[in-house]
Amino acid sequence: MLSKFDYVKPQLLTEALNYLEQNSDTKILAGGTDLMVILRHNAAMPKHILDIKDIPETNRLEYTINEGLFIGACVTVNKVAESKLILEKYPALVQAANSLACYQLRNRATLVGNICNASPGADFAGPLMVYDAKVHIENAKGRRTIDINLFFTGVKKTVLKDNELVIGVSIPNVTEGDTSIFLKQARIKGHDLGIVGVAARLTADKKVKLAMTAVAPTPIRIVKLEETLSSQPLTREIATAASKEICNIIRPISDVRSSAEYRLHVSGVLVKRALLHLSSMGGK
Amino acid sequence: MCENHNNKVNCFVHVDSGLQPVPLKCIVNGEQVCTYIDPTMTLLNFLRRELKLFGSKEGCGEGECGACTIIMNRVAVNSCIVLALEAMDANIITVEGLNISGKLSILQREFISHDALQCGFCTPGMLMSARALLDRNPDPDEKEIKEAIAGNFCRCTGYFPIITAITSAAKLEREEMKNE
Amino acid sequence: MSDKQYRHIGKSSDRVESLEKVTGQAIYTVDLELPGMLYAKCLYSPYARAEIISLDVSEAKALPGVKAVLIGDDIPYLVGIYMVDKRILARGIVRYQGEPVVAVAAIDEKTAELAVSKIKIEYKKLPSIQTLDEALEGKILVHEDINELEYCKGVFFPQPDSNIASWNKMIKGDIKKGFAEADIIVENVLTLPAVAHVPMETHVAIAQADTYTNKIKIWSSTQSPFAIRKLLAKALNISTADVQVIVPYVGGGFGGKAGIHLEPLVAVLSRACNGRPVKLIATREEEFNQLPTRAGMRGHVKTGVKRDGKITATEIYYDWDSGAYADYGVNVGKSATYSGAGAYEIPNIELHSRTLYTNKVFSTAYRGFGHLETHWVMERQMDMVAQKLGMDPYEFRMKNILRSGCHTISGELINENSGRPEDCLAAVAKEIGWTGYQSEEERKSNSKAGKLRGKGLACLQKAPAMPPHTSTSAIMQMDDDGNIRIMLGVVDIGQGANTVMAQIAAEVLDMPMEKVKVMWDNDTDHHPYDWSTVASKYTFMGGNAVKKCALNMLQQMKEMAAQVLRTSVEDLTHGDEYIYHIHHKQRRIKYKDLALGYAYESGNGIGGPLIAKGTYMANGLTFLDPVTGQGLPALDWTFGAHGVELEVDIETGDIEIIKIASAFDIGQAINRKLVEGQIMGGVLQGIGSAIIEGYKFSPEGRLMNPSFTDNKIPTAKDIPMEIVPILIENPQPDGPFGARGIGEHPMISVPSAIGNALYDALGINFYKLPLSPENVALAIERQQ
Repeated sequence: MLSKFDYVKPQLLTEALNYLEQNSDTKILAGGTDLMVILRHNAAMPKHILDIKDIPETNRLEYTINEGLFIGACVTVNKVAESKLILEKYPALVQAANSLACYQLRNRATLVGNICNASPGADFAGPLMVYDAKVHIENAKGRRTIDINLFFTGVKKTVLKDNELVIGVSIPNVTEGDTSIFLKQARIKGHDLGIVGVAARLTADKKVKLAMTAVAPTPIRIVKLEETLSSQPLTREIATAASKEICNIIRPISDVRSSAEYRLHVSGVLVKRALLHLSSMGGK
Repeated sequence: MCENHNNKVNCFVHVDSGLQPVPLKCIVNGEQVCTYIDPTMTLLNFLRRELKLFGSKEGCGEGECGACTIIMNRVAVNSCIVLALEAMDANIITVEGLNISGKLSILQREFISHDALQCGFCTPGMLMSARALLDRNPDPDEKEIKEAIAGNFCRCTGYFPIITAITSAAKLEREEMKNE
Repeated sequence: MSDKQYRHIGKSSDRVESLEKVTGQAIYTVDLELPGMLYAKCLYSPYARAEIISLDVSEAKALPGVKAVLIGDDIPYLVGIYMVDKRILARGIVRYQGEPVVAVAAIDEKTAELAVSKIKIEYKKLPSIQTLDEALEGKILVHEDINELEYCKGVFFPQPDSNIASWNKMIKGDIKKGFAEADIIVENVLTLPAVAHVPMETHVAIAQADTYTNKIKIWSSTQSPFAIRKLLAKALNISTADVQVIVPYVGGGFGGKAGIHLEPLVAVLSRACNGRPVKLIATREEEFNQLPTRAGMRGHVKTGVKRDGKITATEIYYDWDSGAYADYGVNVGKSATYSGAGAYEIPNIELHSRTLYTNKVFSTAYRGFGHLETHWVMERQMDMVAQKLGMDPYEFRMKNILRSGCHTISGELINENSGRPEDCLAAVAKEIGWTGYQSEEERKSNSKAGKLRGKGLACLQKAPAMPPHTSTSAIMQMDDDGNIRIMLGVVDIGQGANTVMAQIAAEVLDMPMEKVKVMWDNDTDHHPYDWSTVASKYTFMGGNAVKKCALNMLQQMKEMAAQVLRTSVEDLTHGDEYIYHIHHKQRRIKYKDLALGYAYESGNGIGGPLIAKGTYMANGLTFLDPVTGQGLPALDWTFGAHGVELEVDIETGDIEIIKIASAFDIGQAINRKLVEGQIMGGVLQGIGSAIIEGYKFSPEGRLMNPSFTDNKIPTAKDIPMEIVPILIENPQPDGPFGARGIGEHPMISVPSAIGNALYDALGINFYKLPLSPENVALAIERQQ
C-alpha cells in the first residue's frame, strides 16, 4: 500500500459532506472490504479517507409500513442477513446477503458498499433492482434520489460524483403475497464471486420482476422477459421457455471465472429455477 | 525528500509511509492500549508489529483466508483489511486473549484433543471465528459451524476435526454454564 | 494386524506442540524480528519471455531507507537441486511472467515497495513457449544454454538443443509382442493443470551474512534445511561449514517448501547490506505467481488386454509442463517411470516421462510427487478399459493388482509383507456398497429432482521418491531428572513427525510421553542430518533411527548398570524408567541415576553422560537403469484405495460427495489420530485438485488467477458429507513397529475416483481436470 492519506472520522453528516466538497481525492470508508484491497494493490492512491461509520444517518436500519425499508450506508451485510423482518418481506435480499463472501467479511462489508463498488456481479444489485430500490445521495449542496435501475453506468461505474455520498437505500413496502428469490452459481460451495446471479420477484399482484448479475457490464433488469412473464400464469412450461429465451437476451463474456458458454447455460438453469420457485410460492 | 530540510536533502530515516504518527487507543485482550501509529497501518500489523501479538497471521492480506481473524467489538473480522485507526475505542480480542486466567479455555483444549490443527498457522484465526460463533450461538448445528469457519482456510486438516472440536467445545461450555 | 500391546504405539497421543499452536505462542519464520532487520521486495517480469533492454535502479537506490538494490548481473549464480538451472534474479532474459528481476532491501516494507515502484525497466517482448507441443517442437528454446547446464548425470537425461529437461524411460518385456497378444487395445489422452500448494504461511526466508567472513545464517520456512545448506554453499561457492539453517515452526509445506527457494536471494541481499539480516516474505500473489507449483501434465496411455481382463501391454507417454525451470521437476518426471502405471502387474511396458520447459511459472515437488497426476491418467484408464471389456472395474483391477509374487514395472518382487492393495480396494468397495456400474435403468431410478448418483473406485501406490542411499539420524540426551531430549533432522511441518518420534522413543524406553521431548527449531549446526522432509519416508526412516537411538541409550544404561548392580548386560532388562535384573527385580537402578554417569559413595565415577545416537540408511536400493528403468528404488510401498459416492446436479454441474472411503495399508499406525488427520487433510486436498483447482494462463502466458479471488481451495463448506478413513495394518517387517508412510498418499487417486464415479452417474468419461461445475455441466449438455 503506497497511499499516504489523512484519515478522518466525522460525527456529523454535514462535516462529512463539507470534507468531501473540499477534498476531491477522497475515498469513502464504510466496511472497507473493497477499498482496503484496492489500496493494497495501489489501484487507487487517495489522499484522504473519510470514515463514515460514526454518522448516525448511515447506521439506520428501519422499516415502516409507509416508508418501507431503509438500509443505511454503514449497515453491514450480516445485519441484513440476520434480520427476520427482511427475510420475511424481502427474502432475495437475505439470500444475497448470505451468499456474499464469508461470515467475518459480512461483519464489515455493507450493502451500500457493494453497490457503490458496482461490480458487474454485485450480489445485492439484482435483489435491489427487482424491488425498484431508491438510492439516496447527498452532497454539500443538496440531495437527490436515483432509481437503482439507473444507478449503474458501466463496469465498476455509477452515477455518483466525487463529492457525493450515498446515505442509504430505501425499498418500498411490499404486501402479502409478495415474494422473491436470489440464486447464484459459484465455482465452489464456500465463498466465491458469482458466475451468474439471478434475482426474481413475484409481486402481490402477480407481476414478475427479473434481474441478473455477472452477465453484462452492469447488473441488468430483464425487462423484455418481465412483460411476457407478467402477462400469463407462471407454469413450468413458461419457466422453461423463459430459460431458453434468456440466452437470446444476454451476452455474457468469457473470463477467468467462466466461459460465456457456461454462463449462458447456467443463466437458463437459474432463471428456470427462480421462476419455478416463485410459481410454487404463489404464482398461479 | 525531507520537509524539515525544505525538501533539499534526503534524510537518513524514511519511516514507513513518511506520514506523521497519529494517536490510537483501544482495549486489546482486556488491556488499555494507548499509542501513536502510522495512519496507513492495518489492524493486523498494529497487533503484530506494534503490540508484538504474533498469534494473528497474515495469509493473504485481502480478507479471503481468515488467518488474521480477530474479535472486534464482539464480532469476528479479518484484521488485515481493517485500518488500525478504525479500532479507535474498540474492544479487541486475539488468540492471546482466549485463555481463562492463564489456563487453556475449553475451546482450546478441545482443539488439542480432537487434533483440530496440524501446521497451526490457521489455528489462531480459526479459534477466533469459533469463539465468536459460540459467543453468539452456544448451540450451533453443523451447518452453522461450517458457515462460521468457511472464511478460515485450512490446507492441512480437511476441517472435519475442527468441526468436531467446536461441536464438542460448545457442548462442554453449555454444561459448564449449567453448573454455574 | 499386530496383537501386541503397546504403551504408546498405535495410541492417539495429542500432538506435542498443540499448546503452543492454540495459544498463539508458536513462532513461525514470518513472525521473526531480528535486530537491525531489513525487509526485501522484488520487481517481477510482466512478460512470459522477454529481453531486458534497459534497467535503471538509481532512483530506487537513492530513496532514504533503501540499503541495497540487486539486479541479475550482480548475482550470476545458478541454483537448483537436481538440475542447476534456476536464476536467483533474471539476467538478460526473463523466462516467465512473475519471475523476479530486481530485489530491494530497505528498513521497512513500505519503503521497499516504494523503491520497487521507482525502478525503470524496459523489455523487448519475445515469442514464448506456452504449450507442451510447442515445447516438444522446440522452435524456441526456453533455456538456450540447456547443453551447458549442470545436472545429476546418469539419473536425468536432458536432450540437447531442446526444451526437454529430462527424458526418462522404463522398458520391461516387449510391448510389440504384448499388444499383439491383446484382444482389445484402448488408447486415451488425459490432462490436468498446474495447481498451487497453498500453505497458509507463504514462503519466508531471513538471511544474515557476516561481512567479515563467508558465514551465512538462514532462518527459513522450509522442509529441507540440509539441502539448503548444501545447495546454497554450492551456488555461492563457499563451504558448508559457513552455512547455518534454522527452521522455526512451519505453516505448511506440501512439497512447495522442499528444495531451495528464497534463501539465495536473501543471502546475497544481506551481504550487499553489510551483513544486516534481510527478510523476504512472499505475498500471497507472489506465492501463486512467482513461487513454484505442481506441474501440469498430459498423459497418453495405450493398454492392451485379453478378454479375461489380464493386461498384456501398456505404453505411456507422460509429458510434464515444468514451466521455466525444472530443478525439482525433473525428479517428479523420473519418479513417474517406476510408479506411473499403477498398482498392477504389467508384463510388457514402455513408459516415457518427459519433463519439459515452457515459459510459465515453474514446477517443484508437490504432495504425491507426480503420483496424483499419473494416477489421474492410469486409474481413469483402468475404468475405461473395463468399460470396453464390459467388465466390472472392481473385478478388472483385482485381476491385475499387485499381489505377493508379482513384480512391479521396475522389476521389484512384491511379497506378502509389502502391503496389500487388494485389501484396500476390497475395504473401500465394501464401505460404499459397490455392486458394479449402474445400468441405464438403475441410473434413472436412482435419480432425484435433477440429480444423479454414482460410485467410483480407484487404487493407488507410492514409495518414497528419494536417492537409494538416503539416510537419516537421531541423537538423544538424558538430563539428571531422567528427561530425554531428542535431536532430529526432520522438520515437523504439521504432519506430526516430532510427536510420532517421541512416541517411538517413549515406547522403546518405556517412559511417559511427558518425559520425552523432541527439540524444535531445527538448526543444521545442532541437529543431526536428515535428507529432507519429503517423500512420506520419515516415519519409516526416522522411526528406525530413533528406535536404534533409544536402543543405543538402553545399551549404554545397561552397561553402566551391569557394573553398579554387579551383573551382566544379558541379565538386565528395563521398564518404567528403571534398569533391573530380569529375576531379582529389586536389584535395580533408575535411569536418571545414570544420566550423567554413575557416582559411587566413595566418590568413584564410572560411565559418563548418556548421549545416544541412531542412524538409518536405506539399504538394498539401487539407481534405475538409464535405458530400461529397472532397479530397486522403493524403500516401502504404501498401497491404498478410494471409494467415492457422489451426487451430480445435472443442470449446474455441481458435485456433492456423499461419502468417500479411503483405505491405506500402513503397516502399523504409530498415532491413529495423526494418521486419520493425514487422510482427512489429504483427501480434501485431492478434492481440491479434482473439482476446484487449476492455474489459468492467458495465451501470452500471464497467470490469470494469481490470488484467492480466482484461485480457490476447498473451504469448510466444500467437504464431503462423510469421510471414512480405513487403516489396514499388514506390518512392514523392516519398518519401525511395522509402520509405513502415509503423508502424501491420501491425495493420490481422489480425482480418479471422482472421475470414475461421474462415469457411473452420467455415462460420460472425463479426460481433464478440474471436474468443475462448468466442465461437468457443459459435458452433460454436449452429450444431450
